[in-house]
Amino acid sequence: MNFKEFQNQSRLYVIGALEAEELEEFEKARKKFGKKAEDYIGECYGLHEAFALSLRPAKSSAAIKDSLMAMVRARKEA
Amino acid sequence: MRVTKSRTRPFSVSPQLEPGAPSDFELMKAIQAEDPDALSQLYDRYNGILKALILRVIHNEAEADDLLQEIFIEIWNQAKNFSSQKGKPLGWMVTLARRRAIDGLRKKQAYARAEERLQNETEQQPDAWVHNSTEEEIVLSDTRGLIQKVISGLPPAQQQAIDLAFFRGMSQREIAAKTNTPLGTVKTRLELGLKKIYDGLKELKSEL
Repeated sequence: MNFKEFQNQSRLYVIGALEAEELEEFEKARKKFGKKAEDYIGECYGLHEAFALSLRPAKSSAAIKDSLMAMVRARKEA
Repeated sequence: MRVTKSRTRPFSVSPQLEPGAPSDFELMKAIQAEDPDALSQLYDRYNGILKALILRVIHNEAEADDLLQEIFIEIWNQAKNFSSQKGKPLGWMVTLARRRAIDGLRKKQAYARAEERLQNETEQQPDAWVHNSTEEEIVLSDTRGLIQKVISGLPPAQQQAIDLAFFRGMSQREIAAKTNTPLGTVKTRLELGLKKIYDGLKELKSEL
């Protein structure tokens, strides 16, 4: 696998779309390319952020936040 | 519009903050120091985005609220594992929320029901991104509008393949079965679509 192919596979990898047999090859290439590979995979995770930001934000009830903050404060005090 | 290209920087298209508001990194640092107010601010900033993501996966309002709360508790508990070296707080939270939502969907054995709902939705609206990105809904000054513009530039089949992989956690084989499409075609759609989005977002980032 050359680096261009690795880049293609990286984008599939970060969204969990690689099949098992592809994953094996991908991990071999990941080791081969080392830091360059890790940096590129890190960049690809920006896709997660972009996909989430493409959605229209949904409303949550105030009770959810109240309950969350009560739990967090209780844990902190425990 | 600046046209200077930034090819070596990791891309990230973040929402705009009010002047003087703490950055996401500052909030994460405060959460690591167990400051509940920082979590409260992070919740106010991102609960809508994370809930939208969860809803897109599980299609159930009550379950989405429960999961949203669990995810913010996990953010509180796991904040010490967050490292700014590995990326931005929003990316970390989205990755965590997506994983939890897909796990939740499978654990609750609601997959079949969601599949049925998805089937109905797919028949009515072949692609949710296409549905969400009609011309009048796109506000170009808004981050979401800009990202949607990149995504809506893709052929519907590529959008659908990415939607099923990212928001439903489907493998290429599952997508092929779901859409009655050859496996090789699904792979090509994913590869081409993701590359176009990746390149489009880098371009967008360099122009902001």
